[in-house]
Amino acid sequence: MNPSPTMFAVVTDALGGHGGIAQYNRDFLRALADVGAVSSITILPRQAPDVFVMPERIRQTPARRGRIVYSIAALRRALFRPVDLVFCGHLFMAPLAALIARLKGAKLIVQAHGVEAWPRPSRLQRAALESADLVLCVSRYTRAAVLSWATIAPERVLVVSNTVEKAFTPGDGSTTRAVLGVENKRVLLTVGRMDSRQRYKGQDRVITAIPYIVAQGHDVEYLVVGEGGDRARLEALARDAGVSERVRFLGAIGLQSLIEIYRMADLFVMPSTGEGFGIAFLEAMASGTPALGLDVAGARDALADGELGTAVSEAEIPVTIARLLAQPKPDPGALAAAVQGRFGRETFAAGVRTALNRLIEGT
Amino acid sequence: MCGINGIVAYHSASSAPEEAELLATRDAMRARGPDGSGAWWSADRHCGLGHRRLSIIDLSERASQPMTSDDGRFVVVFNGEIYNYPQLRTELETDGARFRTTSDTEALLHLYARHGAEMVHRLRGMFAFAIWDQARRGLFLARDPYGIKPLYTANDGWTFRFASQVKALLAGGHISRDPEPAGIVGFHLFGSVPEPFTLYRDIRALPAGHTQWVDAAGPREPKPFSNLAEVLAKGATNPAPAAEIPERVRVGVLDSVRAHLLADVEVGIFLSAGVDSGALLGCMRDAGQRAIRAITLAFEEFRGTSEDEAPLAARTCEFYGAHHVVRRLSKQEFFEDLPAILEAMDQPSIDGVNTWFVSKVAKEAGLKVALSGLGGDELLGGYPSFLDLPRWRRQFGLFAAVPGFGLLARTLIGAVAPGFSHARPKVLGLLEHSSSWAGSYLLRRGLFLPHELPEIMDPDIAREGLRRLKPLRRLAASLMPDPSSDVARVCVLESAHYMRNQLLRDADWVGMAHSLEIRVPLVDFTLLRALAPAIPALTPGAGKAALAKAPTVPLPDEIVTRAKTGFNVPTGEWMNAAIGGGSDSVGDALEAKGLVSRRWSRAVLNGMASASAQPQVHAS
Repeated sequence: MNPSPTMFAVVTDALGGHGGIAQYNRDFLRALADVGAVSSITILPRQAPDVFVMPERIRQTPARRGRIVYSIAALRRALFRPVDLVFCGHLFMAPLAALIARLKGAKLIVQAHGVEAWPRPSRLQRAALESADLVLCVSRYTRAAVLSWATIAPERVLVVSNTVEKAFTPGDGSTTRAVLGVENKRVLLTVGRMDSRQRYKGQDRVITAIPYIVAQGHDVEYLVVGEGGDRARLEALARDAGVSERVRFLGAIGLQSLIEIYRMADLFVMPSTGEGFGIAFLEAMASGTPALGLDVAGARDALADGELGTAVSEAEIPVTIARLLAQPKPDPGALAAAVQGRFGRETFAAGVRTALNRLIEGT
Repeated sequence: MCGINGIVAYHSASSAPEEAELLATRDAMRARGPDGSGAWWSADRHCGLGHRRLSIIDLSERASQPMTSDDGRFVVVFNGEIYNYPQLRTELETDGARFRTTSDTEALLHLYARHGAEMVHRLRGMFAFAIWDQARRGLFLARDPYGIKPLYTANDGWTFRFASQVKALLAGGHISRDPEPAGIVGFHLFGSVPEPFTLYRDIRALPAGHTQWVDAAGPREPKPFSNLAEVLAKGATNPAPAAEIPERVRVGVLDSVRAHLLADVEVGIFLSAGVDSGALLGCMRDAGQRAIRAITLAFEEFRGTSEDEAPLAARTCEFYGAHHVVRRLSKQEFFEDLPAILEAMDQPSIDGVNTWFVSKVAKEAGLKVALSGLGGDELLGGYPSFLDLPRWRRQFGLFAAVPGFGLLARTLIGAVAPGFSHARPKVLGLLEHSSSWAGSYLLRRGLFLPHELPEIMDPDIAREGLRRLKPLRRLAASLMPDPSSDVARVCVLESAHYMRNQLLRDADWVGMAHSLEIRVPLVDFTLLRALAPAIPALTPGAGKAALAKAPTVPLPDEIVTRAKTGFNVPTGEWMNAAIGGGSDSVGDALEAKGLVSRRWSRAVLNGMASASAQPQVHAS
């Protein structure tokens, strides 16, 4: 393969997109361009609602929402330009990406994130993934799930973990505490969508744990960041549990506010059952706040098997929250450094480079 | 024989492995290496290697493993024997290498330092080893061409692990026991789990004749360095006349036996009344070994009957002046040992019982090493398959080649005469599978046929397992490049599947359980290369006749003649009794044997599963 290949990226969203998948795609493609692993990247997104700055060596075409319109645009764009590598940012798009790779004689990279890749997909998607030269997974759990339904050499399925924005650093949270009026409270924090269909982030598990935590002597306040259709149910749950005054829904907030909130929280807790990885764990710990999650799925990776954060079973969540709140907050600088060491952008870029080298050399 | 293991936390996010895990895996292989143990960690503790030692060459402490090169760059753990070690050492010393031991392990370090991965082409022997390269921060693994020594790996995306046994990897406590449908289906098809699969999705065998490199991106795909079919195909390009067969066999086998006697401890031999082990015994004598102890397993049931091998084996011993150790096995002892057999069985197998007991006797006799005639039938055309497969292809291949014909015949006969279909599934299979070598071989060695699987196990697992295993494609791939003759094709199929996945694996775990190294001079790549030009010219019986004449003093005619008719062992009946006897009404002895094997296979799988309370293999 060309040692400085051109890449065509078929993605749901990347630059200007929301959520974990867009974030990962963005991080991955930027890292590829930054380390000089590819000569150029053309991104064709399905959506790009936010404004964004175009990095060097990357161009992103206007978003095409409709499936058919998108497919035609992707084929037209790919067919008349040199393409050495096709990056597929979502399993649902793998059949189209595989077709383009086949037509162009290009190598195919398929990205697997989380829940979309856990159950066995359609035959077409499975066949497309099995034709990939490289499958990248954000966690060991997602990799194991892919290998449970795909017949592909396991050596072609690598883990390139999520990374964390450099902006998340430790700092003084006292002003934010004052603004929120929680100076003398113990603050629990969850950041995540409140999806009314999936309901896996676990805010409900934290709400139902609050009476126990209070009974253990902690004057606790639970801050919930994020939006979604499940909010009303969670509010009702808090009322039923008699802890409405201790639960505050902050909705979606900007990056700077998010950083401030991470810094001032005493414990980030996200007892989610459905994390492909769980970037929010990294963001919290990079901001110097200890993190607690369930010992399941991708959260294990983000919490580094308990070496960075704490990973427990669902039943242990109330006791563990109370125990962690009883301890002094660990050294934020040391925690942030440990997170950057394992999951920082330099480490991520090196991982991306290594993965691409494996592809270029032939596995 | 030894036990090796290691852990490499290669991913930038992975934590350093725990010492307890390395030692738990290592010490689950205590029987493989009762003479000593060692462990080594890299400075950052992201790579750990473990070893359990059965001392055979250079018994001193200085030859302990893991062994580090003088400059500290390379660290090796090794299971097996390098039979051309003396020649390699001479070459290496001429090249400036300085040895501090007389162990073949040290030669691996020098060879890797000089030749890198290409070193494997210089090795004659049975081996599975791993070398950690501190400078490149990578791990090099290799396994011998026939797959005599085992090597299993597991990769979770952050951490790579390896060990000589599947159960040892599980004992480390960090590997998922999620079932591998291809392994389960493969076991039902063949009676052993076909590599690279195991019963567990996350554990795979490094295939025979492959190397593997593990670095910061994890393990690369295993890379082949030898291929049985290729050796035979190459041999066929320069064919030797049939008249040359006896001399080629004589020279090649004597050379192999001589090489396999390399040891600093006594080497004994498993002796039956057959040609293979008898000829090996004669060649041991020709190779200069004076005191030879030969171990024969006999059966109480057959005492005084024509089925008793002991008298004829005694005659062979007397003939070659060996000391004969005969042990008579009773049904009671079989039943007493059965739980231990299932416990020691690393992966399910429908065989290995006879080897268990002969190994037990060898251990009781104080032997650490024994030669076995295993492989003679594969190399020299001794199995009925060498006649059956070509015949089936001639007689039924054309019918089976008609698309849908076999399926139609099976469906019709199944409707009209279901009893026949049930009792003789393979007869019907002829019309479905005999158009290809792979299909014919599946018929010959198959316990169950693919279409029967959904009836005996979870249909979803059966379907998924067949999809992942691709049994016919896998069998056909082993015949690439085409070995060019019928004899050579069957030789490859038997050697690369039945012998590799069943006989050699059984010899390993059974020998291991008794801290006994079983050496197989007839499974030797140098010997195969020497015989390859002559193999296409082998006619029925010619190979074994040549082998009988390999010793300077050939095996007596009475032994050769008697051996042709074969011997029975009562273990099949005992197995049948152990699983509660059979109620199947079957036509002939061959079919009966097949049906017992079928039931036995399921009993073994369930026995292993319940012994460990894992895995959920879903056999009904």
